Amino acid sequence: MITQMHVKGLMFDPYNNAYIVVLRDEEHSDMLPIWVGKSEAGAISMSLENVTPPRPMTHDFMKSFLDAFNAKVISVVITDLSEHTYFSKIHLMYEDSEYTVDARPSDAIALALRSNAPVFANNSVITKQSSEELEQWLENLKPEDFGKLDS
Amino acid sequence: MSAVDRPKEQDLVEYRVERILEEANTDTRIVVLARQDGVPDTFPIWVGAAEGNAIKLALDTMITPRPMSHDLIKSFAEHLNITIQRVVISDVKNSTYYAMVHVANKGVERTIDARPSDAISLALRAPCPIYVTQDVLKRRSTTNLDASKDIGAPEVQET
Repeated sequence: MITQMHVKGLMFDPYNNAYIVVLRDEEHSDMLPIWVGKSEAGAISMSLENVTPPRPMTHDFMKSFLDAFNAKVISVVITDLSEHTYFSKIHLMYEDSEYTVDARPSDAIALALRSNAPVFANNSVITKQSSEELEQWLENLKPEDFGKLDS
Repeated sequence: MSAVDRPKEQDLVEYRVERILEEANTDTRIVVLARQDGVPDTFPIWVGAAEGNAIKLALDTMITPRPMSHDLIKSFAEHLNITIQRVVISDVKNSTYYAMVHVANKGVERTIDARPSDAISLALRAPCPIYVTQDVLKRRSTTNLDASKDIGAPEVQET
């Protein structure tokens, strides 16, 4: 079973000096936080904020690469969590065939946002992450911890 | 020459990534390209730290546990049978270098606009040759210099 998730935003995690991509389902009952690096967060933030950089950034180029041959991103699925690492798959449609490509969630999400493709998560992954500890930590985040993306 | 013009073969000079230099106390890296046709010349391009690191990973043939962004682009190419033929540093405008990535599939060729860092990162992984046009070589050291740099130009103008 998979659930469609929406990219709700990015937060700065001052304790780990990293960024968190927050995915939530439509009913806002499930949440999936994914820790990513600074440049990966930047790639996602540019899409969320509809920023068009003067030159194509890596994921803009990635999309151009697929566009050049009319390959389409159908969907992205966060498939697995193993040893603190999320795994994801990008589903492509090209000449009436479907292809599944292994990717880091940060790349998959950055590409999905640029392709207007839906993001899904395996329910097993969502369940694994909804620990009380994490939710508590997120609740205790102060507003100034948000939006510190300075890249 | 506009970025979409396709240079003739004789207008292309092959370069290879020689090394990545770190600039002390800055968030930039310098990609040093070395000319391959016997003429001694190096061609530096200023890039961001993340872009420089992506190139360095490929240069050092480091295998990362998970695919990095340019590994993913290569993976797309492999899945869809797209050949990455060559990358060309094709233009310099306002102290910014432009690159084109030449790709082909079933005899259909396409060129894709890219920052040099993405083009070079992909070229090292493909692998495919890296060229600089004679036009860019002529113009790099005269009118298109960023005043703050001794040589070369950044691929994205600093704001």
